[in-house]
Amino acid sequence: MIIFAYLFIEFFKIGVFSFGGGYATIPFLYQISETYGWYSFRELSQMTAVASITPGPVGINVATYAGLKTAGILGAMVATVSEMLPSLFLVIIVSKLLRKFSDNFYVKAMIETLKPISCALLTSVAVGLLKPELGNIKSMILLGVLLILSWKTKKTPLFYILISAIVGVILALFI
Amino acid sequence: MPLLRLFLIFVKIGAILLGGGYVIFPIMSNEFVEKRQLIKQDELVDYFALSQSLPGIIAANMTMFIGYKLKGKLGAIAAMLGVIFVPFWTILILAAVLNALVSNSCVQGGLWGVGIAVIALIMLTVREVWQKSKRGIFFYIIFLGALISLLIFKLTPVQTILIFSVIGILVKSIRRQA
Repeated sequence: MIIFAYLFIEFFKIGVFSFGGGYATIPFLYQISETYGWYSFRELSQMTAVASITPGPVGINVATYAGLKTAGILGAMVATVSEMLPSLFLVIIVSKLLRKFSDNFYVKAMIETLKPISCALLTSVAVGLLKPELGNIKSMILLGVLLILSWKTKKTPLFYILISAIVGVILALFI
Repeated sequence: MPLLRLFLIFVKIGAILLGGGYVIFPIMSNEFVEKRQLIKQDELVDYFALSQSLPGIIAANMTMFIGYKLKGKLGAIAAMLGVIFVPFWTILILAAVLNALVSNSCVQGGLWGVGIAVIALIMLTVREVWQKSKRGIFFYIIFLGALISLLIFKLTPVQTILIFSVIGILVKSIRRQA
């Protein structure tokens, strides 16, 4: 039973503190893995991969998957709903105070501060994910190509994911 | 609009929502502004901007703004449950099959590729938040401070956020007084 309480608290925290969309939840998931050991880093990167190729918001999908790994279907439900719950409260409050809210000094200060913090969180995750790949020439070339592709034109995340998956399958088949 | 209808519309949206933040706006705009004319384009733009500036999953925020607008609190809940319906069961099924598939070298290759794409996408998220921010000394100091706390002092994300948001709000308040 206690595991559901922990799941609820941890994923509720993600809903409150993550900022910048789906991939911004990943730093918290690493932290959870380190603290509780519900899943390994390797499993987490696999979960993120799966969450990226299934329909629905990535941040929610990866919560569903992590909850499932931790405590079965009920765990998946708890993680998914508790990550969205803070948004529910926020949206109701903000809808009522729409203009007043976004003009409030402290709200603006908080949002302006969350941006650089969010960049730092994501950078630290990128560093963590890159470390084991640094010695792998294939990985570095693919990453380089993806970043060059993104340089000039914005494409949907699905574009990068599909290209990379195809490259991965081809490499596995022929090399 | 009956709650069940609202729920079902969001079930459909959840099922076609592939690719995250980039596609959420066009999908919602097509469904609620053009097809059903329940929401004005301006309102949707507002919701989108607010969804990005609030914490939490952007698509979830957007979904709940629309649900709340159309049918109040219950509408927000119906929209939320609707949008996760298909993704939820997809993940459950895929997780069950994936364990059996993971030993296959093609699946492993594909997952390796997607893993690299995820690194690129995380870097692109940083770039996007970076570009959308006003970057002065304040931004750089908070960024560097938070990064050092995370990488060197190994603080958790929540600790880092709490410490630096207090610092940030204090600095902004002092600056406003000055």
